[in-house]
Amino acid sequence: MRNKSFGFIIGRVIIILILTILAVSFLYPIFYMFNNSLKSLTEYYISPFAIFNLAAPKWDNFTAMITQFKIIKLLRNSFIVSFFTVVVLIFAGTLASYAFAKIKFPAHDAVYLSFLVTLFVPAQVTMIPMYINFAKVGLVNNWTGVVIANVAMFLPETVMLMTAQFKGIPNEIIEAATIDGCSFFGRLRNVVIPMGWPAISLTIIFFFINSWNDLFTPMIMLKSMDKRTVMVALNQLIGRFTGNPPFQFAGLVLAALPAIIVYIFLQKSIVNGMSMGAIK
Amino acid sequence: MNLFKGYSPNEIKKAKIAYLCILPALLFLLLVRAVPIVSVFIKSFTNWDGLYKNDFVGLKNYKQLFSSGMFINLFKNNMYLLLSVPLQVIIGLVVAVLLYEHIPGWQVYRAIFYVPQIISLVILGYLFKTMFGLEGPINQMLTNIGLGNVACDWLLNRETALPVMVFCITWYSIGWQTIVILGGMASIDTSVFEASRLDGASFWDRTFKIVLPMIVSVISYCIVMAVIWTLTNMFALIYSMTGGGPGYETMTLDYFIYDKAFEGGNQLGYACAVSVILLLVVLIITAIELKISNKAEEKWG
Repeated sequence: MRNKSFGFIIGRVIIILILTILAVSFLYPIFYMFNNSLKSLTEYYISPFAIFNLAAPKWDNFTAMITQFKIIKLLRNSFIVSFFTVVVLIFAGTLASYAFAKIKFPAHDAVYLSFLVTLFVPAQVTMIPMYINFAKVGLVNNWTGVVIANVAMFLPETVMLMTAQFKGIPNEIIEAATIDGCSFFGRLRNVVIPMGWPAISLTIIFFFINSWNDLFTPMIMLKSMDKRTVMVALNQLIGRFTGNPPFQFAGLVLAALPAIIVYIFLQKSIVNGMSMGAIK
Repeated sequence: MNLFKGYSPNEIKKAKIAYLCILPALLFLLLVRAVPIVSVFIKSFTNWDGLYKNDFVGLKNYKQLFSSGMFINLFKNNMYLLLSVPLQVIIGLVVAVLLYEHIPGWQVYRAIFYVPQIISLVILGYLFKTMFGLEGPINQMLTNIGLGNVACDWLLNRETALPVMVFCITWYSIGWQTIVILGGMASIDTSVFEASRLDGASFWDRTFKIVLPMIVSVISYCIVMAVIWTLTNMFALIYSMTGGGPGYETMTLDYFIYDKAFEGGNQLGYACAVSVILLLVVLIITAIELKISNKAEEKWG
């Protein structure tokens, strides 16, 4: 077989070599962060490249983050914001996308287009009036304000993704459900949500991580320390532990960990979903 | 009222339900995104400070932005960071082509390349700040291999701060580019590809004559998205890596809005003027891009 020629094998080896070098360069900075979060300050200054002391990893850095820096509370705040962002996003997104994908109504294209256009408006452009308006109605310095701002930011991409997926649901199935006596919400629950699940689950995972990782909106909206999300508080963390990189790394690791864990478990559906290329 | 012209009574009922379905999403976008654009435009002609001053000052804010040279400086930095786009698209394309050969374990590689995208840019920013710091591992490595004279405080140096940021943005974005381009390649008819392989077409022939022409639209999509993203989503990275410094050396238009409105002295009217200009910049660049990508697709797509 010509496929197994010498050149073919050499080619494969070169490809594997290049990909492996790239893989290492993507993982090394993250490994560096984990590795040094388990060292004492002295160990770190002796060599930041050496592997941490496997016999006695410095868990102290992490206990300090939890007891002194109260990072668990910050993680909880982030979780509350991300959780409710996703709940409201899915509610508003599913309803709107179902209408766009499956119902004929006047001005359909104009409304859909106006949804997508907001994708091109940077968050910073609308932040000042939004902040002032939110302050007037008491939405500043509380989580509801951040959730509302997040949902508005994430909606265009959500609707784009879900509408595309819902369009693929055969009309006959929806009609059959109607004939069987399914109400509007019954059709949503029994047909649209199960058949549109790839898009819905991707929205849940992707925008949970996105709002977990976001800095700009929560930083502007949340003023008091006990309301802040973990990403906003990292600034204090870095400032407070200047000169002690292992401490800082332990904090960064704890802040990054939830998203990494989500990725490890749901890697397949994230990567497959992203391949559709609808969101960034 | 002939809004429902040509609609049967049943269709009118359905259309009304559709409007109800869209209403929640529409309210979010209207109140949080659309109305503020109008306010930003109006307030950009005032000396608004959020508290006492709110008087019409004409084009003063715009004049200040342009005549002080600030716009050129900030815009230049935005453009500099855009250098990352060709880098990430080309590297992403190369990686996607290599993965498309489906060597054993290619899915594992694909999953690894996407890892940076999962981590917050704030975290990565602080991580890179340490790595490129004066006593950081990059300088230590350089010293170890005898290049100690190159070592410097990378992010406090005007010549090196922006290139380091371009490097970080590229590093962060390659995974996304790879996965989306690879997703585009998945739609290529595999029988064409396999047939050419059996006919003995070389790797280069397969890549340049079969794969590339079929993914022109995906690549132009990747470029458009990366440009918008780089123009508007750099806040977290700049905040954690440099804070816009040294001076205004790494500050971009979007960061400047934050700086003027929330960080430095409540110059809300001025920040609104910068917002209007940023919106125009984004819209103009996107319009040009879409035009070019349409042409490219007509020609090769």
